[in-house]
Amino acid sequence: MRAVDVQGVSFTYDDGTEALAGIDFCVEEGEFVAVLGSNGSGKTTLIQLLVGLLKAKSGRIAIGGREIGSLTAEELYQRVGLVFQNPNDQLFAATVEEDCAFGPRNLNLPEPDVQRRVTESLAAVTALSLRGRAIHHLSFGEQKRVSLAGVLAMRPAVLILDEPTAGLDPAGEAQMMQLLKKLNREERMTVILATHSVDMLPLFANRIYVLDRGRVLQQGPSEEIFCHQEMIVRAKLRLPYVSRLMYEMKRHDGVPIDGLPLTIGEARAQLLELIPKEMILPGIEEIGP
Amino acid sequence: MFELFSDIFTYRDNALTRIDPRVKLLVALAAIIAVVTAARPILPLGVFVLCLGTIAILRIPAKLVALRLAAPFSTVAILVVIQTFITGTTPLFTLTLGGWTLTAKAEGLRQGLLLGTRVLGAISIVLLLGIATPAHRIFQALRGFRISKDWVEIAILMYRYIFVLMDRAGDLAAAQRLRLGYTAPRRALASFTALAGATVVHSFEQAGRTHDAMRLRGYRGTMPFGPLPALGRRNRGLLVLLLTVIAAAYGFFEWGING
Repeated sequence: MRAVDVQGVSFTYDDGTEALAGIDFCVEEGEFVAVLGSNGSGKTTLIQLLVGLLKAKSGRIAIGGREIGSLTAEELYQRVGLVFQNPNDQLFAATVEEDCAFGPRNLNLPEPDVQRRVTESLAAVTALSLRGRAIHHLSFGEQKRVSLAGVLAMRPAVLILDEPTAGLDPAGEAQMMQLLKKLNREERMTVILATHSVDMLPLFANRIYVLDRGRVLQQGPSEEIFCHQEMIVRAKLRLPYVSRLMYEMKRHDGVPIDGLPLTIGEARAQLLELIPKEMILPGIEEIGP
Repeated sequence: MFELFSDIFTYRDNALTRIDPRVKLLVALAAIIAVVTAARPILPLGVFVLCLGTIAILRIPAKLVALRLAAPFSTVAILVVIQTFITGTTPLFTLTLGGWTLTAKAEGLRQGLLLGTRVLGAISIVLLLGIATPAHRIFQALRGFRISKDWVEIAILMYRYIFVLMDRAGDLAAAQRLRLGYTAPRRALASFTALAGATVVHSFEQAGRTHDAMRLRGYRGTMPFGPLPALGRRNRGLLVLLLTVIAAAYGFFEWGING
């Protein structure tokens, strides 16, 4: 069954801005899908439609096989959860524990179940030690993880994240992406991620949707998406840095690179094939001055 | 500015932070009633000294205490001056200011000092309570006294977003300062007005986004709260003891001294 099925959905804001123009968007259960687009491409509008914060002017949206309009709020928010870009929008309780308990208590669960969900969701984002802390004493990275825990406590089948790595340092970014990968691969949670950050996507996303001015320009696996240079430029995006380096070496220096590596691992493998074995020194651990 | 609102001390582990907030609230309320109904300054002054002493024992920085007491001290100073010059009949001394002759009176000074010590006594109780209890625990304790859930919910949200808005206003003010927004009085007034307006707009936008986030987690107009733990025997005993001490002190200082 499809976790998310969007058919011919359009949305125009009251000021006349056409944010989405008849887009189709499907996500299978257990998939990790990225929605890639520049600012104003319609990513945020799409995810707000998926969680019912906006209502489509035309078209059909189904979550877990049921039309979004036929679901009660209680049903909808146990099927789909949204993690906002700015954790301050979402962390409204005074402490981490209170915030994580907010959703389960709204579901009228018995208090022991509420506490169990709080513990499990905090453990899932490696934030159990933050349980008693005040929200305003947390670092930005901790706030991001706690806001994810608050949504996980609702146990949604589909997790949607709006720019989850925005504002995080490289270590925080990697930690967040690893968390999402774990939720997707181990917990079989469907993950939809709206972003304009391309470097990590080939490592995590099964499929990528590229949006531009409210339309889907292309969708498919990373290797298909990033081989369409013109489309990437048209969508005001760029290749992952490692791919760009390999592309430039191939195009300007004539280095015989096969295809376009998207990750450091792929690029390394290709370069190692090109470098004569006698030139490779074993055991160099650090780059010297 | 941040120091004025900082609550890091409330998360320290000490004898006061370990007491149930309901006990602290009831004791604080009883102490405030005793202070504001006191007929002579000795009890409010004693409470003020006791609270400041406790704050010192808790090693709260003097700068923070001074900052938090600055406004009440100013109020007390104004109160004492006004009372001294407008109340009473027995002259103490006379001042001439810009053609105005002002006479200080003994009864006014006494009245001013009484009102001033009441204000300081009550404020120091609230200060101590605020230093020994996180605000959210005070709000939760209020539920135990059947205060409206809506009121508690609004208080919790206000407390949470004060820090967010303070951060945002701080960033905006820094951005203004970096572009010379406060270099002349008129420019400073314009910058401050713009800052206040932007903060209000940010508050509304923040409220909208927060409401969306709450809806997505099942909010239906009332914030759900967990159950309040039962008040243990130790806390009940402490409550009785402290209320007895307050009643005894009130009896001694208000009636006992003359008796």
